Amino acid sequence: MDNNFLVIENISKSFGDNKVLENINLNISKSEFFGLLGSSGSGKTTLLRILGGFEKPDTGRVILDGTDITNLEPFDRPLNYMFQSYALFPHLNVFNNLAFGIKENFTQKEIEINVRNIAKLLSIEHLLNRRIKQLSGGEQQRVALGRCLIKKPKLLLLDEPLAALDKKLRSKTQLELTTLQKKLKITFVFVTHDQEEAMSLSDRMAIMKNGLILECSSPEEIYENPKSLYTANFIGIANIIEIYKKDENFYSDDLGINFKLNRELKNTKTNILLRPEKIKIQSTNYLKTSSFNSFSGEILEKSYLGSFTRYEIKIKNMIISVLDQNFNSSSNYNFPKGEKVICSWESESIKVLEG
Amino acid sequence: MKNKLFEKYFVFSPYFWLVLFFFIPLAIIFKISISVSEWGMPPYQDIFLFDNGFKINTTFENYVYIFSDYYYIGSFVNSLILALISTFFCLLIGFPLAFYIATSNIRLRNILLVLVVIPFWSSFLLRVYAWKIILQNNGILNVILLNLGIISEPLQLLYNQYAVIMGIVYTYLPLMILPLYGYLNKFDLNLIEASKDLGLNRIKTFFKVILPLSLPGIVAGSLLVFIPVVGEFIIPEMLGGSDRLYYGKILWEEFFVNRNWPGASALAFSGIIILVLPIVIFQILYSRWSQKNEI
Repeated sequence: MDNNFLVIENISKSFGDNKVLENINLNISKSEFFGLLGSSGSGKTTLLRILGGFEKPDTGRVILDGTDITNLEPFDRPLNYMFQSYALFPHLNVFNNLAFGIKENFTQKEIEINVRNIAKLLSIEHLLNRRIKQLSGGEQQRVALGRCLIKKPKLLLLDEPLAALDKKLRSKTQLELTTLQKKLKITFVFVTHDQEEAMSLSDRMAIMKNGLILECSSPEEIYENPKSLYTANFIGIANIIEIYKKDENFYSDDLGINFKLNRELKNTKTNILLRPEKIKIQSTNYLKTSSFNSFSGEILEKSYLGSFTRYEIKIKNMIISVLDQNFNSSSNYNFPKGEKVICSWESESIKVLEG
Repeated sequence: MKNKLFEKYFVFSPYFWLVLFFFIPLAIIFKISISVSEWGMPPYQDIFLFDNGFKINTTFENYVYIFSDYYYIGSFVNSLILALISTFFCLLIGFPLAFYIATSNIRLRNILLVLVVIPFWSSFLLRVYAWKIILQNNGILNVILLNLGIISEPLQLLYNQYAVIMGIVYTYLPLMILPLYGYLNKFDLNLIEASKDLGLNRIKTFFKVILPLSLPGIVAGSLLVFIPVVGEFIIPEMLGGSDRLYYGKILWEEFFVNRNWPGASALAFSGIIILVLPIVIFQILYSRWSQKNEI
């Protein structure tokens, strides 16, 4: 796959003294669904706006499909931008909103056909004569999407595409969006602050913080093997434990136990990540703690989540989160609050954090 | 209950105002306009006579008189043209200003708004008089131009229709800017970006997005300038010359110089009907249209 379809090269941007983006480099492939994930102020929206042409970068270039588009005006770029607020034209009906971008280059008949096709694709044919104010949030989102897609852009930029929708609609739309993207094979770059949304939509994603890209990889890779402490904490639930070298093994003062790693470490002291679903939780009746990679603790909190139960287990100075899958339907399978349990994990589940 | 009653009357208070200060005076003017003139005080006869039994004493001669003399109609046409031109220039200058104010940051916006309103704090007469000082033959502008050697003798800048238009545009500009600002302030700037993103350049974006969406503000501002300018008396009187006669001036002369109250009233009443009736019809149609289109 051509992974130089969209090249973002050394992009920096400041607003006054405020450095918003610092030396951003990204390569995005054709037909990729790419997510920019970060909390507010991370610079993700500014980066998207630079791609859209609404902001000019201080340094760097944007190359789309071999063409340098850095200095092109938004109306000269072969891409489209879907706004978080959707920015639908309130003085036009749905039909004319959809037709807005193609009115110039097509005949009335071609416009009609194009609008019908895109409306059919997005199942909004029955809405064509409606006013924008008469649409629900989900319908508005489709019109905004249709208005962009009708132009057959090389690249579609989406600013928080699902943020304005309620939760139930969001997961439905998420699925529709990925299906649509795979069907049309248009490159999508979207911005979100919602890690779940980023994980479920993206083929690859970049984690942004303070104008920098911390990591860029597939959701699985970022979840399972995050490089930095920030990413580990930002994506999913994370148990972060500080360990240091002691004799043959590693030792944690907070837990008061030994860790055995399946790899050598450069540093004598480091942070490790232990995802809560990687920890096995067992009754003290069956098992004793071993000399490493396990501990005995007391259940402090427990929340039943249906397919999982989440436990907060206290050991020495720390509280460790554990997700336990509910294989059994019998209720006494769950450990009660206050119970002493044994927690253990495999060496390969321990992920060393570098940053 | 008491509150409800209060609310009921409170809602009607604009109508009391309208009746008290618009319809009743209008009725009085209409009454005078159909009276018969005579020398005396007041300079017209009563419309109801009771000397030899009851008799209604009215005439439409005053209307015939003003409509048969192009002197009156011509002055009204002049005023309409003046109002159209002035409104156009107010819009031309006011729209970019209002747009700039509405889209600048909150601090600058407040400063600019105050700057727009500040002239209202000084006397209207004084401000127009100041233009006289600037534009007269030995005025500031001519002196500067003479000293710079751009002109060899003073330009006749004052006492013509151009000075009148300039004075009116200057005076009425805030009345255009403020309602426009009110609408543009609510304008979602993303709409402009969306339009550009969909391939429309700046000019097309202006005509397809900005203009239609600020139409209510344009209509409000234009009416606020157009209507009073038609009857404007002071600015043409102070800055204008004898090259063009305007409606306000003729009205004044008819009342105070010729003491032809019935004629002047006929002129005033006709003016109001000709001006207000189309605007009322326009407003009704426009509000229906904009309601349908939900602007």
